Amino acid sequence: MRLRNYFFVLLISFIGFSSLGADEVSDDMLDEFADEMIIEEKCDPFSAYNRVMTSFNDTLWVYFFTPVTNGYNAVVNEEIRTSIDNAFNNLYFPVRLVNNIFQAKFVNASEETGRFVINSTVGVLGLFDPAKSKFDLQEHKEDFGQTLGFYGVGSGPHIVLPLFGPSNLRDTISIIPDSYLSIIDYKKRGWFTLTDAWDEFLATKLYEKTNNFSLDNDKYEKIKEDAVDLYPYLRDMYEQYRDSQIKE
Amino acid sequence: MKKVFKNIVLILSMFIFTQNILANEQIELKEHFLKKIDNIIEVLQRDSLSKSQRNDEIINILEPAFDFELMAKLSLGKIWKTISNEDKKRFVELYVKRMKDSYSSKVDGYGGEKVEVTKINQVKSNRIALITDLVSTDESLKIVYKFYKPKKAKLDKDLWLIYDAEISGVSILKTDKAQFREFLKTKSISELMDAFNKKS
Repeated sequence: MRLRNYFFVLLISFIGFSSLGADEVSDDMLDEFADEMIIEEKCDPFSAYNRVMTSFNDTLWVYFFTPVTNGYNAVVNEEIRTSIDNAFNNLYFPVRLVNNIFQAKFVNASEETGRFVINSTVGVLGLFDPAKSKFDLQEHKEDFGQTLGFYGVGSGPHIVLPLFGPSNLRDTISIIPDSYLSIIDYKKRGWFTLTDAWDEFLATKLYEKTNNFSLDNDKYEKIKEDAVDLYPYLRDMYEQYRDSQIKE
Repeated sequence: MKKVFKNIVLILSMFIFTQNILANEQIELKEHFLKKIDNIIEVLQRDSLSKSQRNDEIINILEPAFDFELMAKLSLGKIWKTISNEDKKRFVELYVKRMKDSYSSKVDGYGGEKVEVTKINQVKSNRIALITDLVSTDESLKIVYKFYKPKKAKLDKDLWLIYDAEISGVSILKTDKAQFREFLKTKSISELMDAFNKKS
């Protein structure tokens, strides 16, 4: 009996120590890390289209957005651009609120509500963000794509959208329910929307994007630098990023 | 009864002992990491240096903390084992250069951000992940640094080495692995290396 007890103690301490760093793993480093480096090879039926759209967007970026944002930056002060970005962001509050609630993230939903109330009033229609700077209320970005992901809906095939860039089937379909909650949208509904026709909507959206890009207009170039093959590079980054957002 | 009690005490003390060593290891790594970051920020704020001098100094600080060679191998995955020794050597050289260039260009955009370690994860005895926030005035970026401890400490290298970093959930290594795999489906390893060369 006594022997058995000591054997037990010995076993436990052995387990404790062996996990301490007395590496017993094989010499082959690659095998040791193999489990961490697994990347699923997803079915990519639209890859031919996606490649074309990736280079279209890339050209659009290099020959349109970069010169336009450079010019815009030279004329409009950074503080003003940040405020415009804040104001657009504030308008998307209903999207974030509803999707936080859909995912039962009630604390985040109430924090978002607090942010909207404070920033729309004290923050002058969302131009400033006193909710974060003065009240330490953080933003909790959630969209319908994340809501679907939260309930286990897979991403589906990757789709590169014109202008908006990398997306997938789940996230592309999710644009529709989110657009109903967006005040910028142009479709007729019972409440006020900022735009009345699709061309107004497109112009507003284009301006929003330009202003947003202008705040960090070499970000894309910095990301692109590490690409050997732009399409799979951006595709994989997007899917990893979305997966991590959904897990949060 | 007394014996049972003695055994429990023994087991418990063993447990506390091992936990203590793990905790100390984590704190040491965190302190070491933050000191490195402080050194880098100090170099970045030194105005007297030219851009290339500054980048060289930063790489000198960083080099002992990274296992670039391992990253190069991992980025190729199974393909690594199939290429010739000559290609292996050249690939590692080019990959390491590419990583250094990439880091230098990213650090160019430094605008007074601070690094805070928010959490330490130790999944295995020889793996620690430092979860950090890169905090600027208006936003923060989550960066996870993944460390491993080689069985034998490497010459001129730290005890714990970074083998991957995740920026906003995007792993540098996984992204590279995915794009290299795709590239190598239609092209050869020497074309991949040429593409590295072209970039720099």
